[in-house]
Amino acid sequence: MTSLGKGIGIGYLIFVALGLIIAVAVLYSTKAGRRNKGVSDHVEKAERAEPWWGLFVVVLLGVLLGLTIWRAPWFQDSGPGQTVKVTGMQFGWLVQPAQVKANQPVQFNVSSKDVNHAMGLFDPEGRLIMNVQAVPNYTTTRTQTFTEPGLYTIRCFEFCGYQHAKMIYPGFKVTA
Amino acid sequence: MTTAYPPAPPVGALPYDADYAATPPLALVEARTRRLVLRWIWTATAFLGVAGVLGLLLRLGQAEFISLDGNLWYAIMTAHGLGAFIAWAGFFLMGISFWVLNKCGFHIRSFILPEITYWTMVIGVVGIVLTTLLGGFGGSWVFLYPLAFHSAGQWSDTVTGVFSASVLIAGVSILAYCAAVLHTIIGPGLQAEKDTIGQRIGLAFGFGLLWPSRFKTRRGREPYPVLPLAVNAVDMFLATLPFALLLVFQIIESVHTGFSINTLLAGNLLWAFGHPVVYLLLFPAAAVYYYLIPRYANRPLVAGRAVAVAWLIALTFNLFVWAHHLYLNYPDGNTVQESLGTIMQPTTYALVLPSALSLFSIAATIYKSNFQWNAASKFLIAGVISWLVAGLQGIINATSAFQDTLHNTLWVVGHFHNMAFLNMGLLIFGAMYGFLPELTGRAHFNERLGSLHLWGTLVGGYGWVVCQMLQGLEGAPRRWSRLPDTYLDLTRISLIFLAVLVIAQVIFLINLYITLTRSPFDDPTVRHGKPIR
Repeated sequence: MTSLGKGIGIGYLIFVALGLIIAVAVLYSTKAGRRNKGVSDHVEKAERAEPWWGLFVVVLLGVLLGLTIWRAPWFQDSGPGQTVKVTGMQFGWLVQPAQVKANQPVQFNVSSKDVNHAMGLFDPEGRLIMNVQAVPNYTTTRTQTFTEPGLYTIRCFEFCGYQHAKMIYPGFKVTA
Repeated sequence: MTTAYPPAPPVGALPYDADYAATPPLALVEARTRRLVLRWIWTATAFLGVAGVLGLLLRLGQAEFISLDGNLWYAIMTAHGLGAFIAWAGFFLMGISFWVLNKCGFHIRSFILPEITYWTMVIGVVGIVLTTLLGGFGGSWVFLYPLAFHSAGQWSDTVTGVFSASVLIAGVSILAYCAAVLHTIIGPGLQAEKDTIGQRIGLAFGFGLLWPSRFKTRRGREPYPVLPLAVNAVDMFLATLPFALLLVFQIIESVHTGFSINTLLAGNLLWAFGHPVVYLLLFPAAAVYYYLIPRYANRPLVAGRAVAVAWLIALTFNLFVWAHHLYLNYPDGNTVQESLGTIMQPTTYALVLPSALSLFSIAATIYKSNFQWNAASKFLIAGVISWLVAGLQGIINATSAFQDTLHNTLWVVGHFHNMAFLNMGLLIFGAMYGFLPELTGRAHFNERLGSLHLWGTLVGGYGWVVCQMLQGLEGAPRRWSRLPDTYLDLTRISLIFLAVLVIAQVIFLINLYITLTRSPFDDPTVRHGKPIR
């Protein structure tokens, strides 16, 4: 699992745990002896708190947006470096050239000859490190700098037909 | 601020004589609505049976316990996706909407549109089943253009044309449903003081809560369940139109091989419908929560004006979120698609508000209430918690920076099964336990079997979904008939949970059978031993 994947998983679990604690507290409050009879003060309090809760959610989402939007794939630099042309087709990949050097930017120009494909790039440890859509009649550019030499694998990440699961290119080589 | 709902118009009463002058008495309308909704429930449940078996076959194939070589796995995948999402969950919630409206005093004013909704969906689903399982169409339920015309010899263009027409007919069902819901809501049930169309529309979309001096209703306050149903009806009507256009294009191309459309445009037309359709399930589900949770908490929904604001936000932004499905489609020189991606991350985030405020309202309604625990309410509570659990995943999915790790992985598959089956699905079961007694007149669901059904569904469902999400975080691609060996162990472990899930549904069917065949008729004015107020 990539560090981003771990971060997503841990962050998610923290929020789920907080939510579950609140849910348990709410359900526990319905036990006999803890209930309020009829419409109680807390109802009015809750209605007053409702817009503040909404504002709190907006602020949280605003923070997440501010932290992440600049990391959107289309904002990533595609500076000069080695160039690799990757073409998807039912049911294989054409990769030219199939070998690059580590620690130098590699610009991938990704396209498709027939239907939509997606280039899922796995490092030698089997971690998914890059994902780019291959759209027919278009070229999409992404830049990646490899720090680890070895054999990388490309798997198709957009459903493209009955041999989709066999659309694997195991021989993309990164040298020191 | 809290006001109890006024009772629904008494049976036989005509709240607006002018409106109902040409309609049968309400007792007959309610009886006919009951029969219609029951027919809807049984049909949707049958679709669940078929779609569930197909889903099980898919996972058995991935675990290499059965052999589904070639195109068959993908044809089953296509039928399963459309069957489970639209034909079961979507269809059920469309049908139950009419009962919720009826219970809130909004009686169907014409049965033509609901009947068109029902029959076009049934015809569309039959067409989809035939073209996938017999015709071999295996383009997945999103059939990302131009895949339907590049079958690599697995199905013909004619099959693509018939499949597209079948989906289009199901789309007509959604359009008819939206029209039927709006026609029902913008009616006498609102009890607008000034009975103009502007007042009715304003009340239907919550302006009575936001601007009570301008939009007045004799009900005191319009029922909250109406809000998500009204919003959904407008949004789904508009969102279905571009999708229908794409399907018409595909039908034309199936008979005229020289015809084609731009692939990026096709993607946008698809997802302009493909994301809002999630809310075809979630918004009616919210309406059911708004109606049933207060029933079991024995108090009205605790909600104020912010909920009305949130639903207006949903009404607006729901139509402008589709590009988050296209975050990785940003070809060189196409700044429009990049801009759409940049804009639609915050608009997607905005849709968190109706969910967050609904969860707040539901929690406040339950808090320190004299909550009535039974099979129905337990399922509803489990569904509400799943709404939170799956909703948080949705925020992650809507974040463009995470797409390198998550795009088209099993994390996404786990997410929508969590949302569709373990939120909307649990709600559907809760609605069946809650509404079937009053719909059928038999109220003797076995509570112990109901609890077994609940815990089996939760353990089996979450076990299976967590396996998929973990596989996704490890980079397992979705829509692979055979996953790389790295993921095989978790696939096989998930089958144990799926077995638990299947057993739980068998228990439910037994409980349903016992209830419908062996228990005596109840007094129809009684539900769960408690008189209807």
